[in-house]
Amino acid sequence: MTYDVYMHFPVLAIMALFVGAFLVTLSGKREVLRNIIAGAAVLIALTLLALLIKPVMVDGEIITYWMGNWEPVNGYAIGIALEVDALSLFFGLLVAIAVACSCFYSFQYIRQDDARGGYFTLYLMLAGGVMGIVLSGDLFNIYVMLEVMTFAAVGLTAFRTWNPNAREAAFKYLVVGSIGSSCVLLGTALVYAQCHTLNLAQISALIPGRMNPTMVLAFALLFTGFGCKSFMFPFHPIAADAHGAAPSSVSVLISGVFTKTGVYGIIRVSYFLFRSMGLTSMQTGLVFIGCVSMFVCVTMALNQHDFKRLLAFHSISQIGYILTSLGLCTALGIAGGLYHAINHTLFKGLLFLTAGAVLYATGTTYLEKLGGLARKMPQTAALFLIGAFSISGIPPFNGFYSKWMIYQATFEKASETGSIGYALVTVVCVVTSVLTLASFIKVGQSVFFGQMPLEYENVKETPLSMRIPMWIMAALCVFTGVAPNIMINYVIGPATGAVLNFPGYIDAAMGEGYAAATITDTGYLAEPRLLTIGAWNPVNWLLLFVVVLAAVFLVSILGKRDRGEVNCAPDSKHAVFFGGEESQYSHVASGDLFWGFKHNLRGYLGFMSKAHSGVTNDYVLWGVTALAVIILYCFAFM
Amino acid sequence: MNKKWKRDDLIVRSLADNYLPIALVLGFYVILHGNISPGGGFQGGVLAASGVLLLYLGYGFRGIATAINMERMHRLEAVGAIAYVLFAMLGIFAGYNFCRNILWYSGNIGDLWSSGTIALMNYAVGFKVLTGVGFLLLLVIYLLGMGEDEEHDGTIPTMEHEEGGLSK
Repeated sequence: MTYDVYMHFPVLAIMALFVGAFLVTLSGKREVLRNIIAGAAVLIALTLLALLIKPVMVDGEIITYWMGNWEPVNGYAIGIALEVDALSLFFGLLVAIAVACSCFYSFQYIRQDDARGGYFTLYLMLAGGVMGIVLSGDLFNIYVMLEVMTFAAVGLTAFRTWNPNAREAAFKYLVVGSIGSSCVLLGTALVYAQCHTLNLAQISALIPGRMNPTMVLAFALLFTGFGCKSFMFPFHPIAADAHGAAPSSVSVLISGVFTKTGVYGIIRVSYFLFRSMGLTSMQTGLVFIGCVSMFVCVTMALNQHDFKRLLAFHSISQIGYILTSLGLCTALGIAGGLYHAINHTLFKGLLFLTAGAVLYATGTTYLEKLGGLARKMPQTAALFLIGAFSISGIPPFNGFYSKWMIYQATFEKASETGSIGYALVTVVCVVTSVLTLASFIKVGQSVFFGQMPLEYENVKETPLSMRIPMWIMAALCVFTGVAPNIMINYVIGPATGAVLNFPGYIDAAMGEGYAAATITDTGYLAEPRLLTIGAWNPVNWLLLFVVVLAAVFLVSILGKRDRGEVNCAPDSKHAVFFGGEESQYSHVASGDLFWGFKHNLRGYLGFMSKAHSGVTNDYVLWGVTALAVIILYCFAFM
Repeated sequence: MNKKWKRDDLIVRSLADNYLPIALVLGFYVILHGNISPGGGFQGGVLAASGVLLLYLGYGFRGIATAINMERMHRLEAVGAIAYVLFAMLGIFAGYNFCRNILWYSGNIGDLWSSGTIALMNYAVGFKVLTGVGFLLLLVIYLLGMGEDEEHDGTIPTMEHEEGGLSK
């Protein structure tokens, strides 16, 4: 067997991060040395993955790397494999970019904190764990790396131990994250019992012949487990608490990277292993979860009084977009979802870094206390605007393009299937986008514009070492927005092809012809069609606008009815977990730019306020309920 | 925890004196023979790390603080992990894959040195688990000791993240 040198790159990229983590421990209190080690580790990982773009993305090769040369014997994969196809590399690159930017940002950012050595150890462990998940070709190794990643993230959430919120959030995160991990472990065990192998490619080849109730249960468990890691709808309150308390450079990882592993896991499980996405019921289920996540979280975000909690809810809202788009199971939908995944990592990373810059300069992230900072921190304000325009989908920036693809994919699906439901999905997507823009207007008005409180008279712009990573992310936001053709040709297109090319994945690992020998129904997915970007039918869009208009009228008519008083006031006992704390002084009338909106939706928001009680038991109950519902749904329709 | 319990008890201390070497020898035996017998680096490491608990039972907090350097133990754990990766990388340097056993033909089957670099990786794992679990036990004991007044006599080993805020 011949080896090219790049075959070693995936394992070296993972090991660079882990060795970096341990070397940081050895460096002790020598700060410069520690920064050099951490920076070198993330740059090595990024470089190694970037060098793989040529063979994997352009030449379409699938790298299978057997640890210790334990190759399959008699058609059984007994060794542990790393398998890197275009999808893995896509997520790996996205991880590496976010990790590198955030790492260089945090050199300066965490100078105010103690225990900086532990920070970088955990940080690199988290990065290595995520990298291990996306590059692995072994189900149990994915679980192990999931645990490494989760515990590192919990530790980093509690990093500012002087802050009681951080300790509380870390505890919630630990408990609810463990539900996800347990689900994945149980699912893995069931799959192993049925297929007698843990290799993803071989499981994928064997499952069609062994589809029985146990495997349905395994699918439901794996799906819920990865869904928990991506903080999809019933798990979303944890994300808000964790993001609000963690340092901003860690929030970038939790939001941009950690949640993507959940998305990656859902893609692998649904499209590769069980290939259940061909079923209409599974498509409907995933799209429904995505839409609910999207809409619930964006309305929650409108109510936040804390910059980072607001961003956290938007993060889940954008994950909802990605899940919706992936649930369509069309080439355009998958491409749109993947494009939105990388865009989300970039713009949400940028926004969290600007939130961190505000925190670094002023010491608070409460929207009501801040104001007028654009005068003192012009570059941060500009960066925030780039991020806000990107996430809201304003044309020159990247969010517009991926959202456009998602709208088009949902609408195309509606015209294909002839179902009104998918047209409604498009409406939900558009409305969510509008609400996203609205909430970022609120943030911009409260933090960077308006009247500046006197106490921020001496605030300075953040140091250059923090601004450079932010500018890099902003530049990438603009680049992915203005050059979508390059992205589609070299990154998104191959990754989309990889999602649909599971026989190639199996053959790369198990030898040529293995997939054809075991799988009979290879045609569950249509051949990847050429992406029809930019082609749109004006009549359809006119219909869409009519639907939106009708929806607006419906809401305004319903709004007239008196629904009685619902206590949505911030001073009730548990409202802190709903909208964050509210300060006394505010330069915004009535404490909030969108008080009228809130007033009109008080019925819905009052219910949500009661639901977000902040009690860990409640959140666990939500998670277990979600698991039960998903299991029942899978048994009923799979 | 019962505060009247005396750690200077002669019986407990004698037992600790006698069992500590046994625990360590058993632990190192299991690590050393991990490649040819059941057990291995992880199990042996945990067995050897239980010596920390015996030391605590026999000599109390002060005994541990004088016998073991907590900070160094923390760093040695990282050394163990790095050693594992280096031994695993020998496979790449020899022209094979990561984790490849490159001296597998050495020695006769059943000998202590008969499994090539697998044994070295196993020893690295044993060392890492020994120091890692030992450090965890020390941390637990340290936290237990925090609640007792008589233990605050300056012998508490310093931990790295207790001394934050210093910057050059």
